[in-house]
Amino acid sequence: MVEFSPEVIDTIISAAALLGAGFAMIAGIGPGIGQGYAAGKAVEGVARQPEARGNIITTMLLGQAVAESTGIYSLVIAIVLIFTIAT
Amino acid sequence: MDPGPQVVTYLFGNESLPITDTLIWAWVVCIVIIIGARLATKDMKIVPAGLQNVAEMTVELIYDQIEAMMPGEGKRMLPFIATIFIFIGLSNLVGFIPGVVNPTADINTTLGLGLVVFLVSHYEGMKKHGVFGYIKGFGEPVIILLPLNVVGELAKPISHSFRLFGNMVGGGIIIMLIYSAAPWVLPVPLHAWFDLFVGAVQALIFGMIAIAYIAVCRD
Repeated sequence: MVEFSPEVIDTIISAAALLGAGFAMIAGIGPGIGQGYAAGKAVEGVARQPEARGNIITTMLLGQAVAESTGIYSLVIAIVLIFTIAT
Repeated sequence: MDPGPQVVTYLFGNESLPITDTLIWAWVVCIVIIIGARLATKDMKIVPAGLQNVAEMTVELIYDQIEAMMPGEGKRMLPFIATIFIFIGLSNLVGFIPGVVNPTADINTTLGLGLVVFLVSHYEGMKKHGVFGYIKGFGEPVIILLPLNVVGELAKPISHSFRLFGNMVGGGIIIMLIYSAAPWVLPVPLHAWFDLFVGAVQALIFGMIAIAYIAVCRD
């Protein structure tokens, strides 16, 4: 068993936290795909029915906000890892 | 580098009840809203002009959203939803002024608002169905799903408040990084995007999701 000094352990913890923050943000892919899909469908809807533009945009924004929450969770986890554990 | 709220002073001396900069800006926003509302309604006219026009447009926008989801409840729910919407909207927009911290970039502010919406939605549900009838609704369609429904209900205020918090803090961190890298021209469009556009959209979404939660509990 190798013994590490406290500075080395702190450095390893910081490195692991920063790496974990980077991995956590992989979750940003999901909301990107979901919001893009919603926006694309909204564009199709507006092209088919231009008079329903206001309703379509409101519904699209609400759906995108709900789709966004998983990405926001990963962002909060990454912020916690960077600013409370890694420093 | 710490993006969180900074403690400015303590209310009762040593280390008790810290007062952060986000809290102070929240008070400033409250005072601005009170003065603005007083000025807008001081001498109201049949044909609105100036500040009264803006106030009427805002109230009408929120009223229409409530009426669309809860028909007939617009006038009763308007003060609550409009307070949330206007406070969050102005809190998001003040970040545009350099040196001002968004009051909503603090989990205490957003979680407080989320919990208020949570309490109001359950109060409305109990008022509509009666206390026992409302609690019985969690055991549907089968009683085994009761813990799942309760956990899902408790996750609502967390996702509701973390959405606003994450959006505002994420924008703030990106702007802070750009300020330390390129402090001259680049932050201006970023401020416009993160404070004006994202701030307005998030305020609208927070209010609309609050309406949706209350409407779901009333069903």
